[in-house]
Amino acid sequence: MARKDLLDIESLERRDIESLLDQSVPFKELFTRSVKKVPALKGKSVLMLFYEPSTRTHSSFEVAAKRLSADVTNFDVGQSSITKGESVRETIETLQAMRTDYVIVRHKNSGLPGVIARHTKASVINAGDGAHAHPTQALLDAFTIKEKFPDPSGRKVLIVGDILHSRVARSTTMILQKLGVQVAHLGPGSLVPKLNRDVTRFTNYEAAMDWQPDIVYLLRVQMERQDVQFFPSLREYHQLYGITDLRLEQIRERGLYIMHPGPVNRGVELCDSVMDYERSLINDQVENGIAARMAVLYWLKPGSEQQDP
Amino acid sequence: MTLLITKALIASEDSAELIAADVLIEEGVIKSIGNQLKAPKDAKIIDAAGRILLPGMFDAHVHFREPGHEAKETIQSGSEAAINGGITGVVMMPNTNPSIDSGTVVGQVLDIATKQARIPVYTSGCVTKGRQGMELAGIEGMRKKGVLMLTDDGDSTGDPAVLYRAMQYATELGMFFASHCEVPELAGPRALNDGAMSYRLGIKGSPACAEEIIIDRDIRLAHATGAHIHIQHVSSKMGMETIAWWKSRGDVHVTAEVSPHHLLFCDEDIGDYDTHYKMNPPLRTKADNEALLQGLIDGTFDLIATDHAPHTPFEKSQDFASAPNGITGLDTALVSLHHHFIATGQFGWDLLIKRYSAEPRRFMGLEAAEIAEGKPADLVLFDPEKQTTFTKDFMKSKSQNTPFLDKTLMGSVELVVLGNEVLLER
Repeated sequence: MARKDLLDIESLERRDIESLLDQSVPFKELFTRSVKKVPALKGKSVLMLFYEPSTRTHSSFEVAAKRLSADVTNFDVGQSSITKGESVRETIETLQAMRTDYVIVRHKNSGLPGVIARHTKASVINAGDGAHAHPTQALLDAFTIKEKFPDPSGRKVLIVGDILHSRVARSTTMILQKLGVQVAHLGPGSLVPKLNRDVTRFTNYEAAMDWQPDIVYLLRVQMERQDVQFFPSLREYHQLYGITDLRLEQIRERGLYIMHPGPVNRGVELCDSVMDYERSLINDQVENGIAARMAVLYWLKPGSEQQDP
Repeated sequence: MTLLITKALIASEDSAELIAADVLIEEGVIKSIGNQLKAPKDAKIIDAAGRILLPGMFDAHVHFREPGHEAKETIQSGSEAAINGGITGVVMMPNTNPSIDSGTVVGQVLDIATKQARIPVYTSGCVTKGRQGMELAGIEGMRKKGVLMLTDDGDSTGDPAVLYRAMQYATELGMFFASHCEVPELAGPRALNDGAMSYRLGIKGSPACAEEIIIDRDIRLAHATGAHIHIQHVSSKMGMETIAWWKSRGDVHVTAEVSPHHLLFCDEDIGDYDTHYKMNPPLRTKADNEALLQGLIDGTFDLIATDHAPHTPFEKSQDFASAPNGITGLDTALVSLHHHFIATGQFGWDLLIKRYSAEPRRFMGLEAAEIAEGKPADLVLFDPEKQTTFTKDFMKSKSQNTPFLDKTLMGSVELVVLGNEVLLER
């Protein structure tokens, strides 16, 4: 069913997810043509509201919107009064006045895109809010997995790293579970919460490998998010949970796929040679991100206050 | 003024039984209680058949925001909210701006209260200047103006040595301490219980141990110094059990309060980031709700207090992380406690009166309000069969940040009489 906003995966039905994934396929095929553009959103406006720095997600959305022929405006948050403590409610007033059709928001505060969505007519797409949700990342991940496993039900995905602070872990875990995929989490005890009853929890790499995953999904490790240390050093993290050359050998022997939402920290989550591993899906994820985001933009229906001419 | 309330069901803290009688009030005093009392000439007669006559409630934990944040609440609007909810006395917390940390500020606040509030308004004072946890506040100056309770409410007094010294000092002056219990390093900046809900919402949770550690620390300091310590708004089962353990030892003067929201709501109620369920200490789990209710019934909790914390609609309409902590409670407390606990038979009017009227007043060194001949009139007529809908217009607080906004509950405060004045008649 069409809806105004995409704020999280939790509120999506399995059939919504499947139709979005299906819709991503023809958009991806478009990329191999000489003209990569369709007129689906011609005359519509997309506002990019990124309060947190992002290169990949930002450009992925921008390319997706432009390939649908939408007009894209960047609300330059770094220069605006937002950094001077302007409240989200004042920003909303500004957005309303601009009469934009789509707003793509990234913010460090969990739940903030929902506040914008409630107070604007525009379709709001959550491009990542705090540790809460990153629904388009989840869609592109599911799309990437479906390309390798057309029926992913019953497959096993091991997500490795900072589960506690990761919106990617939350949204991707949820979408995979909705598609019948088994999910396990692996990471330091301080970063893997104990409360996910539906998720198998590991703090030991070898034990997690014994679970026999089909895909190892590495999360970006961020030292800078830590107010009090969650683990002693990146070196120690790499030793315990990183994909070292030795571990890559085992992964290759078993034919496992590797995924990562990017950008990668070489020498932390993975060693250099993982980037050249033939079953690394990291570049597929980037390309699929554009298709999945086109599908989302195409699917959402902004609440209109003006009549179509 | 002469007032005859007929066929009322009179409630008291001593018995669950309601006694049907007429009550005659003359010149602010309960003149007689009996059957078929004759109405004197000029008496106003109120037929109270089927309705319950209670002593006025007393709330020992309210934030009236004046001075400094008058857009949220003033002493006048806050005290009107209290009257609207059947509450005839309150104790303000000192986290105003400036903080209530000297005799001068206490004098200013009480002066406003005398002029603008129709009920007695008392205030607590800070332990430390500006609630900064460093230098002791002007304790004797505040005492001379009538302050009994010292608290840095909103935060714990961070340095235990400061609180230890303050207890040694102020206990000798006849004052006592109230603690908001929280280790800030563990609690983090957001008021949300650490658990499945905080994970789902992606907001750093505050574990119950952050509160429980300071509950134990502050009672221990009181034990060491001989102070009376009052533990505010307990939210967790283990925090309550810590208090019960200290009480069972019998060698420290400890009292504790529980707020209606910690009895009624849990973290799951936050749902989709509903800021009307954001307060500090945070809502915990259903198991905690049930344990706290037992603690109220068995007397681990001496008082019910709302922690009435008004914030403007603008502030509360921000995202969950940015919205301030706290919900209002004065307009809604009595009706919500009736609806959820008395109407369902979980406890009686006697317990409610004891915990929300009699004990809070004694705790503040006051005489308990009582419906008895010769006592000053301080009473509330409550209709258990009539519903109240808590619309924005119904509530008298300047702010409407409550989960009960636009909800309809069983029970209605129909009449509030204090001294020679009818403060409310619906």
